[in-house]
Amino acid sequence: MKLLTVAEMALRELSRRRGVLVLLLALPLLCYVVRHGQVGQSIRFLMLGLAWAVSTAALFASGTSRHIEPRLRLSGYRSHHLYLGRLVAMWLLGLAVATPFFTLVALDHGGEVRLGALAAAMALGVAVAAPFGLLIGALVPRELEGTLILLLTISLQVMIDPADSITRLTPFWSSREIGTYAVDHTGPEYLARGVLFTVVATALVAILSTIRLRTRLHLRYAGR
Amino acid sequence: MIDERWLQALGQELARHRLTPEMARHVVAEAAAHLRDSGQPALRAFGTPQRYAAAVAESLASRHHPARRPPGRVRLRASQITKRYGRRTVLRPTDLTVRAGEVAAIVGANGCGKSTFLRICAGLLSPDSGEVVVDGVLGYCPQDGGTYDFLLPEEHFVLVGAGRGLDRARSRRLGRADAATLQWEPAGGVQARHLSGGTRQKLNLVMAALGDPDVLLLDEPYQGFDRGTYIDFWQHVWRWRDEGRAIVVVTHLLNQLDQVDQVLDLTPGSREVAA
Repeated sequence: MKLLTVAEMALRELSRRRGVLVLLLALPLLCYVVRHGQVGQSIRFLMLGLAWAVSTAALFASGTSRHIEPRLRLSGYRSHHLYLGRLVAMWLLGLAVATPFFTLVALDHGGEVRLGALAAAMALGVAVAAPFGLLIGALVPRELEGTLILLLTISLQVMIDPADSITRLTPFWSSREIGTYAVDHTGPEYLARGVLFTVVATALVAILSTIRLRTRLHLRYAGR
Repeated sequence: MIDERWLQALGQELARHRLTPEMARHVVAEAAAHLRDSGQPALRAFGTPQRYAAAVAESLASRHHPARRPPGRVRLRASQITKRYGRRTVLRPTDLTVRAGEVAAIVGANGCGKSTFLRICAGLLSPDSGEVVVDGVLGYCPQDGGTYDFLLPEEHFVLVGAGRGLDRARSRRLGRADAATLQWEPAGGVQARHLSGGTRQKLNLVMAALGDPDVLLLDEPYQGFDRGTYIDFWQHVWRWRDEGRAIVVVTHLLNQLDQVDQVLDLTPGSREVAA
């Protein structure tokens, strides 16, 4: 119940930032449109744009709640209510952003791509992007630094040679590859790798949030 | 001033002076009857509502101030708290004990560690040494911030209320009731970012007190309040004290210090608790 209340309020807050919502939709759309002539490229860029948008939203959601979460802890919330509630909100937001793009690609290239794989790639992209944005927000307290780290990550993923082994370490590689699989033929191991990345990023967010929002050692409650 | 508005203002001022609602209604009715009979304008007959209410309250003070209950058990005990930021010592060993039904004021010059001490008591900041023992539920009101810009006040009530185990309807009802006592009616559809500084602090205060915490830690919560709301705030503090809560208020305004139970002065060189 507490977790869902946090998720609901995070969604309500984001849904009132209309400019942000427009930009969240514009970013993947632009990525898709600029490579529209090439099916594979446009879908891979769409994946990247979607992940970028969701992780940026998660980063800023983490920033806006940084000063409020300590008082929510005092109000009876546990750390996991707060970070999981926010994560659920970002996943739902990401799926809401992804859905129109899935429809767009289905209408645009429905006969040329595997729609099931495309849906999996989008879901995985959102699944990875939300905890990744929260993780940057947990690691770097200031939004400017966080935004630059995110930009650096995305730039690296765009510029790096896909044949280079370091690409496998970048957070959005798996969803990109499943996006590729939706068009071409690649192995299913990317799905497992993407899920693993999601789990690791979520675990790191959990650890960092729990440390930041811990009950301090000097504070003792009588009778507990 | 139109008499109706004068009478309404008188009612509010009487409430601020802690007259019971029945007594306030009685005084307002008597004043209205006098104005009707005499045909005089209210300002000429009684002066300003503030002055007349103060005069009435003073004359009734001995009869209508409830007797103080003796302080109860210790709700907050901070022992030997110290804090340094780099080379700068912010808090030298500092102690504070507050019982149920007591108000403690933390005073001192800017930068002497008032907010730091309160944040340590709330468990939001670790001290370099010392310990804090709390008996009961904590409520904390920060100096500023502490709200979501794009959420409505009632959504803040629901958010905090859910943490305290209250359902939505009760959270809203309690929040609205507390807001009304601060002369604030949270209008539907107004997000926190559109509230004035003073109203946002009222929201902060209502959030801190929601669910009746046993210990209230208030960090200069009246910033931006107008005169009337400032008085209302202190009436809240006295009411909470009478209900048996332990309250710690960080303040730099000295005109209420004669009414609090203890004053912790954190100004370097005068580190002591005055009872």
